[in-house]
Amino acid sequence: MVGSGEIIVNDIRKIFKKGKPDEVRAVDGIGFTINKGELFGLLGPNGAGKTTLIKCISTLLIPDSGSVTVGGYDIYREPLEVRRHIGVLTGGERSLYWKLTPVENLRYFAALYGVSRKVTKERITYLLELMGLVDKSNVRVEKLSSGMKQKLSLARVLIHDPPVLLVDEPTLGLDPYFARFIRDFVKNELNKKLKKTILLTTHYMDEADELCERIAFMNRGKIEALDTPDRLKQSMPQKQVLEIKCQGTIEKDMFETIDGAAGINISHGEGFVFLRWNTDNPELILGNIIELVREKAKIYSVRVTTPTLEDVFVHLTGASLKDA
Amino acid sequence: MSLRDNRKRMLKTFFHYLRAVNAENIKEWKIELTYKPDFIRQFIEPFVYLFPYFLYGFALLGGRYSEHLRSITGISDMVAYTFIGYLFIGFLNTACWAMGFSLRKEQWFGTLETIFVAPVPRWVYVAGMALHSTCHQGLIMLIQAVVIATFFAIVLQMSGIFMALSIVLLMLLGLYGLGIIVAGLTIALKQWWVVSEALSTLIVVVTPIAYPLAVLPLVLRKMSMFLPTTYGIIGVRHFLLGEELVIGLPTIILRLFLILIVWLTFGMIVFLVMDRYGRKKGSLSIY
Ligand SMILES: Nc1ncnc2c1ncn2[C@@H]1O[C@H](COP(=O)(O)OP(=O)(O)OP(=O)(O)O)[C@@H](O)[C@H]1O
Ligand SMILES: [Mg+2]
Repeated sequence: MVGSGEIIVNDIRKIFKKGKPDEVRAVDGIGFTINKGELFGLLGPNGAGKTTLIKCISTLLIPDSGSVTVGGYDIYREPLEVRRHIGVLTGGERSLYWKLTPVENLRYFAALYGVSRKVTKERITYLLELMGLVDKSNVRVEKLSSGMKQKLSLARVLIHDPPVLLVDEPTLGLDPYFARFIRDFVKNELNKKLKKTILLTTHYMDEADELCERIAFMNRGKIEALDTPDRLKQSMPQKQVLEIKCQGTIEKDMFETIDGAAGINISHGEGFVFLRWNTDNPELILGNIIELVREKAKIYSVRVTTPTLEDVFVHLTGASLKDA
Repeated sequence: MSLRDNRKRMLKTFFHYLRAVNAENIKEWKIELTYKPDFIRQFIEPFVYLFPYFLYGFALLGGRYSEHLRSITGISDMVAYTFIGYLFIGFLNTACWAMGFSLRKEQWFGTLETIFVAPVPRWVYVAGMALHSTCHQGLIMLIQAVVIATFFAIVLQMSGIFMALSIVLLMLLGLYGLGIIVAGLTIALKQWWVVSEALSTLIVVVTPIAYPLAVLPLVLRKMSMFLPTTYGIIGVRHFLLGEELVIGLPTIILRLFLILIVWLTFGMIVFLVMDRYGRKKGSLSIY
């Protein structure tokens, strides 16, 4: 028997061999325990190995070594029990049959999961209502918007009412309205109300910060840190961040001459360049920095804030969450 | 756990899988029916393919009936002879295409991994596809049989229908083995649908569809002895048209049983090995 851990991952490894010398250490010795009812986040950039890890846990991939149990069931010895126990959301909107209607899709998956006919009917009514898809019940999935497809995918995952959910990048490519809905739904409905144990992966730090009780930073197949969002942020040696929003061409090494301004993080978004420095004393470096930036770019705003998870991630891994 | 509970659980599991197989079958019909022109094409095309056989026969024989054909098979009607063989080889599609590509198709849809995390063994999907395709192919054959038999006024021996269908069933089970092999190969080794193509061509050539076994060159005839279709077609023609058997009936049935056991067993082994290989390599998610 296993303790209170609902998902126990122990030192698992998955290496993809492409050519002889070419190998990708997608998951490189990872271990953690997710407690019953916990909403646990895996935060990492593209290629970190998040999806590979989810596939190992959900028996789609056989790890090279290590062990995993879900709800006490072993992924090697009892894969069918593991699969009964979990709902897996991966692949987004492509994971549905576009030529079928929502009701037909849900009915099909209910049969695969061995949900009795009577319960199936109740569940479908309940889930379509919950997702606000009742008026789309008999419209072919291909005619639904991406957001609606994702809602339906979530309904599909819940058809057999599993105690554990593995949710891989649930808001990837969704517009803000639907992303908001999915996040609230995962947090409030699934985790708080229905008490599901959830493993969620994302490369949006806001999403992880907002939803997860604990977060594991994942990079290049390894977990670099694991704690609550608050404690992760408090772990930063410098307690403040200086941020400059500008437009222009900025190089990292421009700032090497300034004392205390070497550790810069450059990111791009909405047509702007964001420059961030972790520092204990922003006033000290501000003047010199602004002078340098002004030569190369047009400054829109300057502010001092507290560290975000992104800052912690960069600090710990040296990699950025965005376009790695 | 008591024996009784155990039996109850096994029964429950069995019905769960059965329902999953049928759900797969229903899903397949529904998806297929959304492509209406293609659906209709599948019912018309077999007629089109059949006619060159007839025309060829007419040209060679100078008519529909042949004394020579009678002397080697006991049947003089070339149309009836050809049509029965052609009709039943249609089940080759079930094995080589429908079953073989069942999982590959899910891969193209993007649904393969989603269905593979469901708590049923992976053969359930292949079996569901086999069920669908067998029904589908059966329907096509029935329509074809009625149309051609009426049009050419072919008289079938209705007394032989039960035996004919029994032989077809054995042939089908053997073909399912082939289908499972192809399904297993294509899922792990992408390009291997070529094997399916080659196999289906080989089987069509070696199986005595429009000609008696006797006309095949020795090597091909030897090869045909390992295929369920050979015995299936010979048997069906014997029971529906009265073709003289060149192989004894007990031998036919025995060999069909042997073939189906060997092919199904081999098929399942290949499938399991390939599934494991695919999950090790991570080739499920690569197109
Ligand atoms: N089936 C496979 N065969 C070979 N390499 C693979 C396979 N699947 C994943 N990889 C490689 O493993 C690494 C981890 O990929 P993975 O998809 O797990 O990352 P991820 O964290 O989910 O990233 P993303 O944000 O892109 O989804 C990548 O370098 C990827 O190219
Ligand atoms: Mg991923």
